[in-house]
Amino acid sequence: MRRLLRIMANLFVTLILFVSLAPVLWVFISSFKSNTEILSNALSLPETWSMKNYVTALTMAPIISFYGNSVVVAVSATVLNVMVLSMSSYVLARFYFKGRSALKGLFGMALLIPAAALLQPLYLTMKNLGFYDKLTGLVVCYATFSLPVSMYIFTSYYLTIPTELEEAAYIDGASFYYTYWHVIFPLTKPAMATCGVLAFLGSWNEFQVAMTLTSSTSKRTLPIALLYFKSQFASDYGAMFAATMMVIIPSILVFILLQRQVVDGLVAGAVKG
Amino acid sequence: MKKKKYFNYATFIAPTMVLFLLVYAAPVIVLFGSSLCNWRIGDAITFCGLGNYMDLIFHDVSFQKGFLNNVVWIVLQGTVHVLIGVLFALILASRPFYWKFARTAYMIPSIISSAAMGMLFLCIFNAEFGMINSIVRKFIPGFSHNWIMSYDTSFLTVTLTWLPYAGITTLIVLTEIISIDSSVLEAAIVDGADRLQLNIYIILPLLKNVIGTSVILEASGMLKKLDTIMLMTKGGPGDMTMNLPMFVYRTAMTENNFGRANAAGVMLILLGCITVTMINRLFKVGEGNG
Repeated sequence: MRRLLRIMANLFVTLILFVSLAPVLWVFISSFKSNTEILSNALSLPETWSMKNYVTALTMAPIISFYGNSVVVAVSATVLNVMVLSMSSYVLARFYFKGRSALKGLFGMALLIPAAALLQPLYLTMKNLGFYDKLTGLVVCYATFSLPVSMYIFTSYYLTIPTELEEAAYIDGASFYYTYWHVIFPLTKPAMATCGVLAFLGSWNEFQVAMTLTSSTSKRTLPIALLYFKSQFASDYGAMFAATMMVIIPSILVFILLQRQVVDGLVAGAVKG
Repeated sequence: MKKKKYFNYATFIAPTMVLFLLVYAAPVIVLFGSSLCNWRIGDAITFCGLGNYMDLIFHDVSFQKGFLNNVVWIVLQGTVHVLIGVLFALILASRPFYWKFARTAYMIPSIISSAAMGMLFLCIFNAEFGMINSIVRKFIPGFSHNWIMSYDTSFLTVTLTWLPYAGITTLIVLTEIISIDSSVLEAAIVDGADRLQLNIYIILPLLKNVIGTSVILEASGMLKKLDTIMLMTKGGPGDMTMNLPMFVYRTAMTENNFGRANAAGVMLILLGCITVTMINRLFKVGEGNG
């Protein structure tokens, strides 16, 4: 009985690892093959490891520009989200005033509204603000999508900072802004890291709003680029594989390098958010 | 003095408020308002009460199929998906030599974005050159099946792009298991419990909260799945892989029937609220372990 369980557990692990790694590995290996090889020997290694597909993909699709857009949008949205929520959560966590819990409840309600439901109204709002087909529109949306989760993470973190620190600063005559910026802000680095990781991942992978709010190829981000490859490389499979790999590999490398931060962020975000 | 205090607070809340108003409040008001109107591109906007909702619920076959698929996907994701993640975490928690490698490897599909997963699956399930058909051809020469676009397999194929990949659940559950007080586990081992009994009687009951959280997270994730479906099938063939986000997208952006798309958006929000409330009831999340 225990032997059987052990065998089943090993089978399960093997199966899970296979379905996790096989798709990436197969597309990776195939990205070095010629089109005829892809069609005739789909399961073998390439005869020569040629970079030709990568060159084709880079010349046919503006992959560098997709990358640039994704980096600019994700980084700006993350910084905006962390800055803005760090300030508002400080007030919401620390001070008592009329309407405080109503405000918290209002912001928290955003958690219940999937962006998919708001598709056309969001498009309308952004268009009227002059943000249509501009990266600014995406930055504003992404910074806001992470609003509730960042609020929960920041407020619970502020509650762990002893109030004596601020009281001492006030007695020394420091203003509200000075105290926040010089006493509190430097103490919240761990919370900022957690919120930052979550906001960045969310922005980096977002598809639907990017699809709706941009139209020109020069404003597209990486997830939409995949859709573009699908039509652009409809008959050149090798180039399609190479382009897909160029989107995927950097994410995997960054994840492996920053694994600790990403893992901590994801866990904290799930438990608090 | 008091006025100054409120002014300080207001300056700190204002930026968040602006973002909230622009991205949530204004669109939500437009959403609810226009869901009660006839609103197509080029036509005048007229009030029609619950007309859009009646049409969706009783006449629109695509919406009905999309709603049904969405419910099935929510249930599958909240049960099978989370179960796979928890099982994997329990196995890794006994620290086999490969546990760190396995944890990282299993996270890869969750990290590379679901659009990228959709693209990979588009490649491996391709009828001509895909990995799956090539493997099957080793045993059945000449085999060819269009997994993604045939009626009998499209739903299954699309489901497979996310169902087995519970890396985030594994991560959260594993972290929770590691944080369990080791003296509890040691006491059970001294009393003669083996690994299986340890898992069933000690560890699993302590995981109730974290599993509840994962179920909410994963199930409600199904309310925003558009990328994979957009890349792979666009809801087709027929409406076999339609879901609510895809329906909203198609109705708003292709058919330009904004009133109806927004009524479907309201239904999507309602489905989300019902899902979260039901799971909360089921697990009593937040009421302590036990």
